[in-house]
Amino acid sequence: MTRQALDLTINGESHQLAVEPHWSLLHVLRRELGMTGTKENCLEAECGVCTVLLDGKAVNACILLAEQCRGRSIVTIEGLGDPEHLHPLQSAFIEHGAVQCGYCIPAMILTAKSFLDERRGHVPSEAEVREALSGTLCRCTGYQKIVEAVIAAARQLNSWPEEARRAS
Amino acid sequence: MSSYERRVAGKRLPRIDGIGKVTGKHVYAADFALPGMLFGKILRSSEAHARIRRLDVARALALPGVRTVLGAGDIPQIRFGTAIKDRTMFAQGEVRFRGEAIAAVAATSLEVAEAAVRAIEVEYEPLPAVFDPEEALLPGAPLVHAGWSDYQALPVFDREGNISGRSAIGDGDLEAGFAQSYRIYEHRFTTQHVHPGYTEPRAAVASWDGNGDVIVWSNTQLPFDMKNMLAEVLDLPASKVRVIVPGIGGGFGGKLRVGVEHYAAWLARKSRRPVKLITTSEEELTDAYPRQPTIVTLKTGVTRDGRLLARQGRVILDCGAFANSGPATAAIALQVLAGPYRTPHLAFEGIAVYTNKGATGSFRAPAGPMANFAVESQIDLIADDLGIDPLEFRLRNVYREGDKGPAGETLASVSIEECLRRAADSIGWSERKPLGKKGHSRGKGIACSWWLTTGGSSGVYVRINPDGTVTLVSGAVELGSGAITGAAQILAEELGVELAQINATDVDTHVSPYDYGAQGSRTAFSVGNACIAAARDLKRQIGALLAGQWNVPADSIRLEAGSVVSGEKRMSLADVAALSQRSGGGLISHGTAIQPMPVFDPNRVRHHPLPAWTSHSFHAHAVELSVDQVTGEVSIDRYVVAQDVGYAINPTYIEGQIEGGVAQGIGQTLSEEIVYDGGRVLNANLTDYKMPTMMDMPRVECILIEKPSVNGPYGAKGVGEPPCIQPPAAIANAVAAATGVRVQSLPITAEKIALRLAGKAGKDG
Repeated sequence: MTRQALDLTINGESHQLAVEPHWSLLHVLRRELGMTGTKENCLEAECGVCTVLLDGKAVNACILLAEQCRGRSIVTIEGLGDPEHLHPLQSAFIEHGAVQCGYCIPAMILTAKSFLDERRGHVPSEAEVREALSGTLCRCTGYQKIVEAVIAAARQLNSWPEEARRAS
Repeated sequence: MSSYERRVAGKRLPRIDGIGKVTGKHVYAADFALPGMLFGKILRSSEAHARIRRLDVARALALPGVRTVLGAGDIPQIRFGTAIKDRTMFAQGEVRFRGEAIAAVAATSLEVAEAAVRAIEVEYEPLPAVFDPEEALLPGAPLVHAGWSDYQALPVFDREGNISGRSAIGDGDLEAGFAQSYRIYEHRFTTQHVHPGYTEPRAAVASWDGNGDVIVWSNTQLPFDMKNMLAEVLDLPASKVRVIVPGIGGGFGGKLRVGVEHYAAWLARKSRRPVKLITTSEEELTDAYPRQPTIVTLKTGVTRDGRLLARQGRVILDCGAFANSGPATAAIALQVLAGPYRTPHLAFEGIAVYTNKGATGSFRAPAGPMANFAVESQIDLIADDLGIDPLEFRLRNVYREGDKGPAGETLASVSIEECLRRAADSIGWSERKPLGKKGHSRGKGIACSWWLTTGGSSGVYVRINPDGTVTLVSGAVELGSGAITGAAQILAEELGVELAQINATDVDTHVSPYDYGAQGSRTAFSVGNACIAAARDLKRQIGALLAGQWNVPADSIRLEAGSVVSGEKRMSLADVAALSQRSGGGLISHGTAIQPMPVFDPNRVRHHPLPAWTSHSFHAHAVELSVDQVTGEVSIDRYVVAQDVGYAINPTYIEGQIEGGVAQGIGQTLSEEIVYDGGRVLNANLTDYKMPTMMDMPRVECILIEKPSVNGPYGAKGVGEPPCIQPPAAIANAVAAATGVRVQSLPITAEKIALRLAGKAGKDG
């Protein structure tokens, strides 16, 4: 065992961990912390279901070493909204029927959040959404309703005052 | 029933399990964990057909952290299987495909389990193998199962050597039909292995409790089938096996049968610890239940004015090393070949064949895309040769109300003409080959089909709670389709409550009532009918409870807007539930449903497990696409689906089924294939197995047609499987219209088209 001490900031909370140097962030989230909202599948960054936000950018947690996240801010789906206070993306996904089995949905929502946060004030076109979210596979929906949900959420977020948006 | 406005059914309401899924709180089987659990891993064969000369697990057992290593010698030799009991948990002396399980390990971490699997030593003695299903049919071909005749099998199947099942459907006088034909056409089509592509791997956690019962948390589509199958493999009474499905990340027919559950259960039994197994992408693409490849040959005789007179066809279906659903799939292919067309003289044969490749299964609309690709491609070839518009050709031949189906059953609620016309109108069929942009050819294609709503019984327990909510306990799993939300909408409608008041539970075979399972486009249909039955019974219970108290006739009592009402009398449903709980155990019902089997002519079918379809649906797809004249790349400009759903219980999720099914169909048509070189899969990863991404998918335009069925809830028909049936044929027809290139083998890759455009490949690309 060659475990190293590692402090990770996940959803604004600090976690003191002892990790093997080769452990991925995905392994730490799911196996060590029991945060299973971040999903696992291919483990080689093809399917995208393990997407989390690292300093606000969407990344695949399966190919990111936990050690690489030292001193950085990680946001997972558990950090986005809770059942009583859903994030507009979460509400839009439900309202637009964009959720079926749901296994890819945390990744879709987080990728969409990173994409929309980068271009505040802009309502993306369908083609822009498709390009931005194409790194995550969904086998249930055919993607159409996900695209519609992201555009609807962009409209909603743009109508928010900047402070509310920054807090989201 | 049709005269009043429904409040809940038919509405675009949000699904009842949505919030857990968007917040990451919904627990899937892949997420499930128990304290102290071990991780399992399977050692798989590196040979396609070989005798195992030596298996030595000593080095694996010696590794720190390894708790158990199991091989064929450590467990009873029990054969299992759906149609034929031809499979064992571990290869017994002989491996039959590259990837077959030989041993399994349970260890304190996945890394140790993987190291242990690598430390197991195996020596093989190669045996002659057969990979091509047509070669497997030749005399003297190596037998995949030398002992096939000793296996137990469902009696309906006709088996011999490498043939795991052979079925036929026929009518009329084929020879006379061909003799009368104006022209006769013969074509051959081939289709490939495709994976269901669920994003959640197959996963199971098994744990043995103090009663000697095994509890298995699994993402199976069929918990009751799984329970029985595990009881068989574990040599236990079924009552000792408890299957719980926490959540399931897609199935599409790929999670019907046992995958990792039996390994988890046996490893847990031997190690006396909970054990989890989860598949890797490599395991999914080498040992799962993909769609079978097929070779379909068709011979079709027509009249001068384009009427189908005689049709003969053969489907050779490569089921791989184990039969699983192959024989039934080869049989169901025959109905897909027959319909939705009238043909006075026909003879179709389906043959499922063993080869030394991975097993296969019942991916969404088993047999549908393969057989439909052949029929609907050939219809276009014939229509074009006769100079008849392909839409017009179809309209001259499709089923009409009251026609006889392939097994002589009477067809009701036939809507194929409307589906075709609506799809064609929407795509602008009058202009079949519009002008493409520079360097591109443009064309339109159409294809139609029919499909069944699978039978089997459903049971639900429904309880009205003293807080006014309603608990729905179904034995059917919510796969993601929204079927349980649909059933809950029906229940809410019947009980006069809101959808948000209904809570549905996970399936637990120790608790939930039996259901035939989430398969075959049946869940919303069948569970919905069971909900109607339960609601009816609850109304009866409420009537019996209140009639005396209120001194009114029981049949005057109605449920509306969360209340029980009779004339001036009114009590909230919550209070009635509380009253019943105080006085008589509460308002609980067990509602059940089953579809009646249609009457058919047994002389028309041979060795067929599903001779006549129940509550069939009709559908037509139309596509407009562009083909790059140099690269052969296809881009889909528009895709239209007109589907008869009988009654749209929730249009949003029906569109979701159509959009998702078309995506899978487009994947099968253009990019997906598990590529075998002999017995080895060349692309067992998601980099090289190419499923459509968001950028590959067009917007799918859905036209929902509602011609009610006799047996469905409010007239509904099965919805889930059909949308993946027609994309191969519709796209093949559009590519041919655009370029003149007719590709008769799936997938229709850019490479095949480009080579043909450049005049560099044979007839079939």
